Amino acid sequence: MALLSALLVMTLVGGYGLGALGALLLGGRPAGRFITALGGGVGALAALVLGVSALAAAETMPFDWNAAYADNFLSLTFTVDRLGGVFLVVIGLVGLAVTIYGYSYTAAYTGRYSLRLLGVLINVLPLSLALQVMADNAFTFLLMWEIMSLSAYWLVLTESDQPGTVRSGVWYIAMTHLGFAALTAMFLLLAGNDLNASFAAIRAHAAVETALMRNGIFWLALVGFGSKAGIIPLHVWLPMAHPVAPSHVSALMSGVVIKMGIYGLVRVLFDLMGGGPTWWGGVVLGVGAVSALMGVLYALMEHDLKRLLAYHSVENIGIILIGIGAGLIFQSYGMFTLAALGIVGGLYHTINHASFKGLLFLAAGSVLHAAHTRNMEEMGGLIKRMPWTAAFFLIGAAAISALPPLNGFVSEWLVFQALLGGFSLPVPEAAAAMPLAVGALALTSGLAAACFVKAFGIAFLAIPRSHEAEHAHEATLSMRVGMGVLAVACIGLGLAPFVVVPWLARSVAGMAGLPTTSPTFTAGALIQTPLNFGSMSTTWLAVLLLALLGLAPLLMRWLRVEWRLRVGDTWGCGRIGQTPRMEYTATAFAEPLRRVFAELYRPTKELTIDFHPESKYFVQSIEYKSEITPVFERGLYEPLLGMVRALAFQVRRLQAGSLHLYLVYVVIVLLVLLIATRWF
Amino acid sequence: MNTALFAQLVTLSSSVVLLFGITLLWRRSLTAYIDAFRWQSLVLSVLFVLIGYYSNDPELYLVAVFFFALKVIVLPIYLRRLQARVKVVNEIEPYINIATSLILAGLLVLLAYAVTRPLVAVSTLPTRGGLPLAMGLIFVGLLVVVTRKKALTQIVGFLVMENGIALLAALGTYGVPFIIELGVFLDVLMGFLVMQVFVYHIYGTFESIDVNQLSELKH
Amino acid sequence: MGYVLEIAQVALALALAPGLVGLIRWLKARLQNRRGAPPWQPYFELTKLFQKEVVMSNNASWLFRFAPYLIFASTVAVVFLMPLLASPLPFDAIGDLLVVVYLLLLGTFFLALAGLDPGTAFGGMGASREMTVAAIAEPTIALAIFGLALGAGSTNLGRIVTETLADPGVVISPGHLLAFAALFIVTLAETGRLPVDNPATHLELTMIHEAMILEYSGRYLALIEWAAWLKLTIFFTLLANLFLPWGVATTLAPGDLLIAIGALVLKLAALGVVVAIVETRVAKLRLFRVPELLSVSFVLALLAVTSSFLLK
Repeated sequence: MALLSALLVMTLVGGYGLGALGALLLGGRPAGRFITALGGGVGALAALVLGVSALAAAETMPFDWNAAYADNFLSLTFTVDRLGGVFLVVIGLVGLAVTIYGYSYTAAYTGRYSLRLLGVLINVLPLSLALQVMADNAFTFLLMWEIMSLSAYWLVLTESDQPGTVRSGVWYIAMTHLGFAALTAMFLLLAGNDLNASFAAIRAHAAVETALMRNGIFWLALVGFGSKAGIIPLHVWLPMAHPVAPSHVSALMSGVVIKMGIYGLVRVLFDLMGGGPTWWGGVVLGVGAVSALMGVLYALMEHDLKRLLAYHSVENIGIILIGIGAGLIFQSYGMFTLAALGIVGGLYHTINHASFKGLLFLAAGSVLHAAHTRNMEEMGGLIKRMPWTAAFFLIGAAAISALPPLNGFVSEWLVFQALLGGFSLPVPEAAAAMPLAVGALALTSGLAAACFVKAFGIAFLAIPRSHEAEHAHEATLSMRVGMGVLAVACIGLGLAPFVVVPWLARSVAGMAGLPTTSPTFTAGALIQTPLNFGSMSTTWLAVLLLALLGLAPLLMRWLRVEWRLRVGDTWGCGRIGQTPRMEYTATAFAEPLRRVFAELYRPTKELTIDFHPESKYFVQSIEYKSEITPVFERGLYEPLLGMVRALAFQVRRLQAGSLHLYLVYVVIVLLVLLIATRWF
Repeated sequence: MNTALFAQLVTLSSSVVLLFGITLLWRRSLTAYIDAFRWQSLVLSVLFVLIGYYSNDPELYLVAVFFFALKVIVLPIYLRRLQARVKVVNEIEPYINIATSLILAGLLVLLAYAVTRPLVAVSTLPTRGGLPLAMGLIFVGLLVVVTRKKALTQIVGFLVMENGIALLAALGTYGVPFIIELGVFLDVLMGFLVMQVFVYHIYGTFESIDVNQLSELKH
Repeated sequence: MGYVLEIAQVALALALAPGLVGLIRWLKARLQNRRGAPPWQPYFELTKLFQKEVVMSNNASWLFRFAPYLIFASTVAVVFLMPLLASPLPFDAIGDLLVVVYLLLLGTFFLALAGLDPGTAFGGMGASREMTVAAIAEPTIALAIFGLALGAGSTNLGRIVTETLADPGVVISPGHLLAFAALFIVTLAETGRLPVDNPATHLELTMIHEAMILEYSGRYLALIEWAAWLKLTIFFTLLANLFLPWGVATTLAPGDLLIAIGALVLKLAALGVVVAIVETRVAKLRLFRVPELLSVSFVLALLAVTSSFLLK
C-alpha cells in the first residue's frame, strides 16, 4: 500500500511537472496544449486515485513522506490521511474535467494571450493544492497556500486586456493576503512559534493552550480560511475574480480553490484543536446561514451568468459551513454521532459543490465561447444550438437546486437531518438556533431553485435574444467530455450515497472525540441517520422515477391515447410573429423576489421617458435603469476604502518632490535609529 | 379534570391568545385590530374560568366576569367610538413592512422561550407551558406599540400587552387576589381614558392621529 | 402484499384526485348560488384531453415535451412514499418528508422551465411567480416538518403516523395545531388555490399556474393537470393523515383497509369543503401581499417548533 501511494504521489508530481514543462517549452502550439492537458490529466488522475485509495485503505496513513525522507532541506513534510483524501478526490475530479475541457477551450486564446503562462499555471495550481492537503507541518501548508494564491492570481489576470480584470485581480490579491496574514499569525500561535512543528506536535500543543489563545486562534482561522472560502463579508473578491478568469480556471477556483478554506477550517478546528466551546459552532453556523442566504439573494439579482454562479459559490460555502457549524455545536456537547452527521453533510456538500459548480462554470464557459457574452439577456434558445451543453447545464442546475435524486439533494438532506437532531441539545439557546438554521437553509434551497430556473430558462430556452446567440455553436468534443466527467460525477454522487457517506464518516472518525467506528449511516442502499431519525434512498428513488417515466408513455400508448402532434406558432394573443422582445427577461423574472426582499436590496431606480413633442400620450422611448449595490460593498468596504484613501492623502504630503527634503528624511531616520539603539 | 388535560388546554388557549396578538401584525384595518383584541380577551376570560375551575377558586370566576365586561364589551365599544370620532382612515401604515414585523414577532417569541426557560424548568405548575407564550405576548404588544404609526393602534397594542401581563399573572400565580386584580382593571381603564383624551387632543391639533406629527412640536 | 397495496394506493390516489377537484369546484359553485358542473366533470376533461392532438409551439424544445412526463412521474413517486391507507408500507423507508418536499420541488422546477420554453410573456410570468411562491413557502414546509418530526422522533411519514396513533393526546397540543395551520396555508399556496392563485381563471394578470401551462394541450396538458390535482390530493392527505391519523390501517387486514379507504375519502372530502368555503370567503391577494401571508405561516411554523421542543 505504501509503495502504491508513493508511486501515485510521484505520478501526481511528475504529471503536473510534465504539463508545466511542456507548456513552458512548447508554448501556444497545439502540441503544447496537448502536453499541458496530458500532464494535467495524469496528475489529476493520480490525485483522484490517491484520494480514493486513502479513503478506502484500512490503514490511517497510506503515505508518509516524513518517515522515508526526514530532514529534507526545506523541512517540507507530507502525509496523506483520510481527511486529505477527501480533498484529493475533489482536486482530482475537478482537475481532470478542467484539464480535458481546457485542451480545446484554450485554443481560442492562441495568439491573443500567453498560453505558455496559462499552461504552466494551470498545472502549478492543482499541484500546489494537492501538496497543500498533504502538508504535515505549518510551513509546508503556508508555502503551498501562497503558491496556490499567487498562481490563481496570475490565472485570473489571463485576460488582462479586458476591462475590469485588473481591478478584480487587485481585490483578489488584497483579500487573499489579508487571509494569509491571519493564517500565518494563527499557525504561529498554534504551533508555539515553530512553523516547522509537525501537525502531530501541534495537536499536542493546541490541547494545552489557554482559552484566550484558543479563541484567538479560532478567530484568525475564521478570517484566514473564510477569506479564501468566500464567507460573507469577506466574499467581495469572489464575484469579481471568478467571472473574469478563463472559464475552466473559474471552475477550478470555484470548485476547488475556495474549498481549501473548508479544508483548513476542518483541519484546524476539528483535527488540530480537537473542537472548542459551543459558541465556535454557533459563530460558524451563523456565518454559514448568513452566507447561504445573502449569497443566493444576490445571485438572484445577477444577470451575468458567471457572476451569478460565483454568488452561488458563496451560498454553497454557507451550506457547507452550516453543516460544519452544527457539527461543532454537537461536538461541544459530546453528541458525537450527530456531530459526525453534520460534518459528513458538510464534507459531502463540499465534494458535490465541486462537481456541480465545476460543471456549471464549464458549461457557462462553453456558452461564453459560443455566444461571446456573459449577459443572460443576450442569450436564449441555446438548447437547440448547443444541446449537449444545455443538457449538462441542466444536470448541474438540478443538482445545485438540491433536486432528488442528484447529489446536491443528498448532502442537503444530511445537513437538514443534522439540524433536526438539534432538538436533543440540552441548552435552549443552542437548540433555538436550530429551527432558524432549518428555515434559512430551506429558504436558501428554494431561492436557489428559483435562480436556476431563471439561469437555465433565460439562457437556454425560448428564442435567441441576440444575433450571437442565434449563431451559437456546440462546444468541441474535448469540452463536452470535460463537462461529461463532472455530469457523471453529479449523478454518481447522487445515486451512491451509501458508498460515499461511510467513507466520509471514516475520514473524520477519531478526530475531536468523534467515534472511531463509523456510526450506522447505512443499511444497503438506504441512508439512515444515527438514532434512526430519518431514512431515504436516492438509488431507489431514481429507480422509481425512471420506472414511472418509462411506464407512463407505455401505458398511454396501450390505452390508445391520441399521439398526433402539430407544431404551430406560439399563441400571441392574436398578434402574429413572435419576437425575442416579447419574451420574459431575466430582470423581469427576478422582479417579484426583488420586491419581496426590497428592504435588503434597496435598489436605485431611474426612469427616463422620452415623450413625443406633440403630445405626452405618445412615448418615443423609455429608459429604465435599476441598480443594486450589495450591502457589504455599501456599508463596509466603501467606508473602509474611503478611510484608507484619506490616510494616503495625508501621507502624500511627505512627498514634496524636493531632493533636499528626502535627504532630511534619511538623516532624521538615521538619527532616530541611532538614538533608539542607545536606548534599548 | 386531570392535570395532563388541564395543562394541555392551558397551553392551547395561551397559544390562541398569542395568535390573536400576532394577528394584529398581519391585519391592516383598525376594525380588524379591535376585533382581534376582543377575541383575544374572550379567550382569556375563558382561560380564567378554566383555571378557576381547576384550582377550585371561585374568586377567579369573578375576575373572569369583570375581565369580560371590561375588555370584551366596554373597551371595544369605546375604541369603536373613538375610531368613528377621529374618522381614522382604515389603513394602518407600519414603520417596518408586515412580513418583517411578523418574522420579528416570531423571533421575539423565540426570545421569550429562551428568557423564561429557567422559570419553566424549575416550575412544577401545570400551567407552566403557557408562561413563555404570555411573555411572548407582552413582547408582541410592545412591538405593535413601537412599530405602528397611528395613536389608536398604539392603544390597542398597549391593551394587548396588558392582556399579556394578565395572562402571565393568571398562569404564574393562579390569579392574583381579587382586590389587586380589580385595581389593575381600574388602572387599565384610567390609562385608557387618559390616552383617549390624548388622542382627541392630537387629533384636534393635527387633524390626524399619526404620531409622526408630534415630532413637529419641537420646532 | 405490501407492494400490491403500494400500487393499489397509487391507483386510488390517481382515481380520487380528479374527483376531489371536481368536488371543490361543485361546492364552490353551490356556495356562490351557481349550479356548477357535476363533481365528476374533471374525469371527462381528462378523457377529452387524452383524445386531443397536441399543438406545440415552434419555439419549444425537447424539454417542453419531456417536462409533463417528469412532472407526472415525480408527483406519482411521492404517492408511493405516503401512508395513504396503511402504515408503515415497504416504500416508507426510501423517502421521508424532506424527500416528499423536494420531489414536489422537482416537478415545480421543470414546470417553470417548461413555462419559459415557448418564449411567451405569459409563461415567463407564471414561471417567475410560481418559483417566487415556491421559494418563500419552502422554509415554512421545512419548519412544519421539523415540528412534526419532533413529536414523532422521525421524519419518515409512516413513523409519524404510527407515533401519533400511539399517543393521541399530541393532537391537541399547540405545536401540532400550529403546524397544521402553517401547513394548511402552505397547501393553499403550493397547490395554486385562493388567496394565492386563482384556479378558475384563464388569461388574467394575476394567475400563476394557468399562465405557466398556457401553451400545453392534448395529452401533455392532461398529464400536467392530473399531476396538479394529484398534488392537491397529496397535500390534503398530508394534512389529514399526519395530523389526524385515525383510520389509517396499521395491519393489512382487509377490514382495516376498507375502513382506511372510507376514512381517507371522508377526510379528503372534509378538507375539500373547508377549502371551498375558504375560497368563497376570501378574495385573491395581491401578488406582493402573498409573502406576507407566507410569513404568517412561517411564524406559525416557528411557534409550532418552539412550543413543541423547547417545552420538551
